[in-house]
Amino acid sequence: MKQKPRVAVFDFADCEGCELQIANLEEEILDLISFVDIVSFREVMKEHSDSYDIAIVEGSIMRPMDEERLRGIRSHAKILIALGACATMGGVNKIRNQWMPEEVKKDVYGDANLKGNELFDVFQTKAINEVVPVDYYIFGCPIDRDEFKSVITAIALGKKPDIPRYPVCVECKKNENICQFELGAFCLGPITRAGCKAICPTHNSPCEGCRGLIKKQDTECVKEVLERYKLSYEDIRRRCTMYNYGRKECSYDE
Amino acid sequence: MKQIVKTITKKDFSSFVNSLINDRTYDVVGVVAKGKRYVFDTLSSAEELQLDYDVTILPPKKYYLPQTETLLKFSLEKPFEGKEIMNDTPRIIIGVHPYDIIALEQTDRHYLDQQQDNFYKKRRESTIIIGVDIKNVSERSFVASMKTNVTDSGFDLLLTDIGTNYAVTIGSEKGNKLLEKYAIVEDASSSDLKKIITVRNAVAKKYRQKVNIDKKNWSSLLVANYNHAIWEEHSDVCMECGSCTMVCPTCFCYDVKDNVSLNLKEGNRVRTWDGCLLKDFTKVGSGEVFREEVKERYRHRFFRKGNYLPERYGFVACVGCGRCGSACLPDIADPCNLINELGHFNSEEDTGKYFIKEETEVLEKGIIHVPRSATIKKIIPFNEIDTLFEIELDDKKPLGHKPGQFVEVSIFGYGEAPFGISTPPGDSPVFEIMVRQVGNVTKKLCLLQPGDKVGIRGPLGNGFDVKTFEGKTMLFTSGGTGMVPMRSLINHILDPKQRDKFKEVIILYGAKRPKEITFMDDVDRWKKVSNVQCELTVDRCEPSECWGGCTGLITALFPKIKADKIDSKNTIAVVIGPPVMYKYVIKCLQTLGVPDNNIYVSLERRMKCGVGKCGHCQMNGVYVCKEGPVFNYGKLKQLPEAFE
Ligand SMILES: Cc1cc2nc3c(=O)[nH]c(=O)nc-3n(C[C@H](O)[C@H](O)[C@H](O)COP(=O)(O)OP(=O)(O)OC[C@H]3O[C@@H](n4cnc5c(N)ncnc54)[C@H](O)[C@@H]3O)c2cc1C
Ligand code: SF4
Ligand code: SF4
Ligand code: SF4
Ligand code: SF4
Ligand code: FES
Repeated sequence: MKQKPRVAVFDFADCEGCELQIANLEEEILDLISFVDIVSFREVMKEHSDSYDIAIVEGSIMRPMDEERLRGIRSHAKILIALGACATMGGVNKIRNQWMPEEVKKDVYGDANLKGNELFDVFQTKAINEVVPVDYYIFGCPIDRDEFKSVITAIALGKKPDIPRYPVCVECKKNENICQFELGAFCLGPITRAGCKAICPTHNSPCEGCRGLIKKQDTECVKEVLERYKLSYEDIRRRCTMYNYGRKECSYDE
Repeated sequence: MKQIVKTITKKDFSSFVNSLINDRTYDVVGVVAKGKRYVFDTLSSAEELQLDYDVTILPPKKYYLPQTETLLKFSLEKPFEGKEIMNDTPRIIIGVHPYDIIALEQTDRHYLDQQQDNFYKKRRESTIIIGVDIKNVSERSFVASMKTNVTDSGFDLLLTDIGTNYAVTIGSEKGNKLLEKYAIVEDASSSDLKKIITVRNAVAKKYRQKVNIDKKNWSSLLVANYNHAIWEEHSDVCMECGSCTMVCPTCFCYDVKDNVSLNLKEGNRVRTWDGCLLKDFTKVGSGEVFREEVKERYRHRFFRKGNYLPERYGFVACVGCGRCGSACLPDIADPCNLINELGHFNSEEDTGKYFIKEETEVLEKGIIHVPRSATIKKIIPFNEIDTLFEIELDDKKPLGHKPGQFVEVSIFGYGEAPFGISTPPGDSPVFEIMVRQVGNVTKKLCLLQPGDKVGIRGPLGNGFDVKTFEGKTMLFTSGGTGMVPMRSLINHILDPKQRDKFKEVIILYGAKRPKEITFMDDVDRWKKVSNVQCELTVDRCEPSECWGGCTGLITALFPKIKADKIDSKNTIAVVIGPPVMYKYVIKCLQTLGVPDNNIYVSLERRMKCGVGKCGHCQMNGVYVCKEGPVFNYGKLKQLPEAFE
């Protein structure tokens, strides 16, 4: 039999929530390992190997040492998959890009002397594809397990993964939710990539845009809707800071 | 027909509903509250029912064409196994308003036409509708001015709140039986009957939203304003969110996808709601998007409601429920507002232009979701991207196609894609297709081996009516993969048994590069047949490539046609090629003096169902998969979207 592709899972600056989504596949993990060998996955196993074909990378890049490690991973892997909002677009880790790293450090660690300690040698947060080329993206904070499965099976079958390029509203409407705007809330669903089954509005909280924006915040239609709902550009800018700081529009299409 | 009307006390009605629930034969659904809005949902007791609701967020179409529905289950391990599955329990839907009932009757016209959709049909048959007359008017609804606020058909029972009682109009034998079995009713008195009318009239007066143009005039109003600035003005603020199509009771387009389980052993082919406002709706493998501009997609939706479907089926495909208006954040989706606005600009002059085409007779009745099993016999690569496949149907029956028709080829786990049939008609179960690699299905096909199985649906679409070409000079112009269906037609006409039925045959064939000239064996053979002129050209040719023909665009071949051979009035011209080619070639043909009605083209659009259901292949009101891909240019040229 053909050798199974070897898969390694890595994490950088993140909460490990996306990896947990994979770990939570439970019995289905057995299906997964019927066609891949998982050789490294810190969250669920002790073993580690540097020989792998597919690297699944979670988390954002904060420091020169991260960059170096990521380049190493890229050089081993034939296929690199960015997993979750932190890896695909920087996500919440980019909130701090509003300030210079020195300011942030001072704020967090006060006057502690961190000079020469490379663990604290942070620069402005980067998404994975700002450092190395990425082959596939699995969006979301956290990722959607079904989408993870569909991307993995697509890669295994040699198909292009089917990642929606339409907004969350499509899935939200299919779920027959009352629109958050109608409830007086401010939802990023109309400009955010679908694929999460509109989980937030379905649980009665507005979309925060964790799967990335697919429309610029300053297009005519966005301005029109903001105006109708008595919101300002400042409101949307602030809302988009949570996951989309510094990103005007998703750049991963095609 | 006079309908029988009974009455039931509200208390007895509750017991009736509870006994339906407790019987457990049916999935009993009804209108229930969701926050301040309403939805159809499964009932656990009659108390949950809110029959005085205004409108539900989604229409009851979700029970007939669910958001996501499995069409078939397949195995990736067995050589070929696909099964249609459907295991719905019978259902009773309580509280459907008249406009939603009318919307379902409209959907019947589409899904239960010559090619019936079995899933839809079975659900229609196993569902009982207990309608209810509108009591409270929703803010955006304009049903009164659409005359869809009342209905006398489409329900099994219809309730009208006449005070302490409901009047129950019996609409079908099924409804009657249900009452007999589960309910205590009395005959309605004449004053009860009067009350029904009074109640309906009183509600009809409450509508604030009114459409000022009678719905029978929408069609001509829209046609007269096809190029109006309004489409662009409004669509400038469209979010392309698709909400207007998702919530609409008369929208029924769908996408089809193959999902595979994580063990890579089996999977489902599912269909999901899709909408024409979303950009990917028309995107084809080569990257081209038809109706690329938001403006075009925005306009398409209104034309479909007000012109395309009305001209095809005889009804305006908007029932005035107002759902789209309240779902659209920039508030540009409401047909009532749009039509009223257009009405200001224009008298409803009839321009005589209609953007649809008569329905054509179809070969297969009923949509078959499960393809026929077939075996790949031979694989002949032409170049790095084009490969010829010889395929045999496993039931050994002939495909039974006409030149110009196509098949949907399925690879379970990857999907389905349409391909022109490149062999002439005949009695053989073996036929050929040529595949150019662009995406999932085409790439996977090219990895298969002789002996592997694929699924085949078809032949589909409208092919060439070769009989009508007899006695004519034939001029074939094809570019790129356009040669695939053309070859079927040419070989049919050049068949020694047929040859003398036609006059001169002229074949012009162009490709981008020499290596993309396919079917060279055929070309060489054609050149040897008497009274056949065959000219080839390529766009460009590297010095390293061996090429004896012309270089230049296909139009450069026209001067080579020997003038004495062309009796233009008696020439049939067939043109098949990439979208950009048509405009230029048709100019050349017109210069030659070939009448438009003698020109035939074959068009390509994104396809999913192949049978006029899913909506993807539409150009204006025409389904390319069903009324095409072969069209008469004389008839087609009035469709603005045909050669956009
Ligand atoms: C009537 C007709 C005849 C055709 N004949 C041929 C032929 O003889 N040879 C050939 O190589 N190609 C032909 N095509 C084009 C071929 O169907 C597409 O290249 C193919 O569908 C791409 O599928 P994919 O899965 O590889 O690409 P993807 O990009 O992965 O497409 C996904 C799906 O979108 C739809 N789709 C994408 N592109 C097209 C398209 N161009 N037309 C229709 N649906 C599309 C299909 O449902 C497809 O499965 C024809 C198309 C039509 C409409
Ligand atoms: S709640 Fe958000 S995602 Fe849902 S329809 Fe409204 S805007 Fe769109
Ligand atoms: S609804 Fe928005 S924030 Fe919530 S998971 Fe989906 S994309 Fe992320
Ligand atoms: S177009 Fe709008 S108003 Fe008309 S039926 Fe559809 S959702 Fe209702
Ligand atoms: S609901 Fe409105 S904004 Fe959304 S696609 Fe339809 S017209 Fe455009
Ligand atoms: S309507 Fe589905 S492909 Fe034409």
